[in-house]
Amino acid sequence: MNLKTKRLLLIFLLAFGAIILSACSSAGISTNWPGLAADADRAYMSSGAFVYAVDLKNGQEVWRYPAASNSKQVFYASPVLTDDGQLLIGSAGSNHLFVSLNPETGRENWSEAFMGAKGAWLASPLVLNNTIYAPNTDGFLYILDLKGKQAADPIELGGALWSKPSTDGTSLYITSLDHHFHVLDLLNGSLKDPINIGGAAPGSPVVGKDGVYVGSFASTIEFIQLNGAHKVIATADNWIWGTPALDGDTLYYADLGGTIYSLDLATGNQNWDAVQPDGPVVASLLVADDQLYAATEAGTLVALDRDGKTVWEKTVGGKIYTTPVVSGDLMLVAPYQAEFALAAFDAAGKQAWTFTPEK
Amino acid sequence: MWQSYIIQPMTNLLLWIYDILGHGPHTFGFAIILFTILIKLLTWPLNASQVKGAQAMQELQSDKEWQDIQKKYAKDKEKLAQEQMRIYKDRGINPFASCLPTLIQFPIIIGLYQSITRALSVTPFSMLELARTIYPFQNVANIIPLNSKFLWMDLGRPESIQILGFALPTLAIIVALTTYIQSKLTMPASTNPNDQSAQMTKMMSIYMPLMLGWFALNFASGIAVYFIISNVLGVVQYAATGRANWSNLLPGGGKKISSAKKK
Repeated sequence: MNLKTKRLLLIFLLAFGAIILSACSSAGISTNWPGLAADADRAYMSSGAFVYAVDLKNGQEVWRYPAASNSKQVFYASPVLTDDGQLLIGSAGSNHLFVSLNPETGRENWSEAFMGAKGAWLASPLVLNNTIYAPNTDGFLYILDLKGKQAADPIELGGALWSKPSTDGTSLYITSLDHHFHVLDLLNGSLKDPINIGGAAPGSPVVGKDGVYVGSFASTIEFIQLNGAHKVIATADNWIWGTPALDGDTLYYADLGGTIYSLDLATGNQNWDAVQPDGPVVASLLVADDQLYAATEAGTLVALDRDGKTVWEKTVGGKIYTTPVVSGDLMLVAPYQAEFALAAFDAAGKQAWTFTPEK
Repeated sequence: MWQSYIIQPMTNLLLWIYDILGHGPHTFGFAIILFTILIKLLTWPLNASQVKGAQAMQELQSDKEWQDIQKKYAKDKEKLAQEQMRIYKDRGINPFASCLPTLIQFPIIIGLYQSITRALSVTPFSMLELARTIYPFQNVANIIPLNSKFLWMDLGRPESIQILGFALPTLAIIVALTTYIQSKLTMPASTNPNDQSAQMTKMMSIYMPLMLGWFALNFASGIAVYFIISNVLGVVQYAATGRANWSNLLPGGGKKISSAKKK
């Protein structure tokens, strides 16, 4: 091999290595599945560079935010609508922007790269009593008023926060990826001692009558009472990702192995033997109109009755990780890596429309 | 294939080491260091053959028969190539032996980079990929997510230290420096001004520190830790053979030897 060939080979190898590494760079949050919310008239979908508002009547785009893509901001958290007419969402991009939009027009009410948040906004904020509680992947819970100004000092919870907080009106319940469950007393602002639940919890806690239910990567459902006592009340065969669904005395939950469980909270027994649709279940389960809806990674939307029998199932396509949203008679599904970005189905599983953003 | 044979074993190995070390703060950095040592041990025979091959190629440059064919077939590249191959064969020299460890490095670097980012999984999607990467016999639910802190670094992000408002990329500088030192130490003194092997090594000693420094500057600092440990171990391995040319580190050191030998 002569010098020229070696030189070319060397340059090629270095360039190849640089390209490969660049292609898989994770300097920012480059990709994730979309977030979804809806009101009576529109669906709001955060998907990469844009937040889209889609007309529920016909699946047409009403507006998108921002008007042009910005490499420093990407959106994946599910947007949140407030009672005073704001649409809140944080950016998972490098600018850590937290934005309030007008849901009618998509125009910015305010935007804040506020309070020095160092991480991405992957979790939806919770709005309660005119206060926004916004969890960030930097491990802090940021607290601001509805005008975007800091209402209280950020609270450091430790591990990355990926899930929307839950509340019973007097306390805020938050899970963190560092295996902990946190309780913030809203009356005096004090934070109780964190509870170790044995595994990372990317889903939100579910507030019940006497306590809170949390699923985690420990493949368990932990029941945490208001006095801080806690115990495992059910297990799964695989990691529990999505938020369980509480329906009376029944708690539905699913795992990454693709099994859906129905736990009778009164007896502690499972209501059915293994119900397994066609793939892992990452999205949270949804109870609506006496039916349990589950979306699978295989791209299928399944409606089950209370006995676990399939009422209908629909192959949507792509991979479904985003929790479906109900608005009126429509079930909205935002598949990932599919031919379209959003689809609407009626209660019988018939497709009403699909939405694909124009480039 | 890449997933099954490179990413999955590497990620599981990193997780296994991390778990064994106690999965506390700074543990992932030590897991990368142990991983690097393991890779170095596995590729030790290859590196040894690289040293041997480079030495053989070096000696060939001064060989009379080799020099004769260079002159004789200077205008007939095809014949020259045939004669060179004959000499390689006669003397049992593999001209590619010195390139192989470098080639092996690339899948390791790219695989390690992907394994580090996957193991640290900063997004739900990458966490899901991690869940699928883990071997069924590994029970890692209790260690996920990994603690990415190591000393002052976040191993999942590029590193820099703020000094007087300026972000100094310490690790990238150390990577470039150790790569330069390693290549200088392993650069044999040459007596032949037309020595292609020496020219190539010299070229590598300039390009490689710049390129690896650039990698360290822009990508997860965990990969920079790999580069540094790998370089240090490379120097140790070469020094153990007794062939390390320490004088090359001094300004003009290599030239003095060359000119001394010429006399």
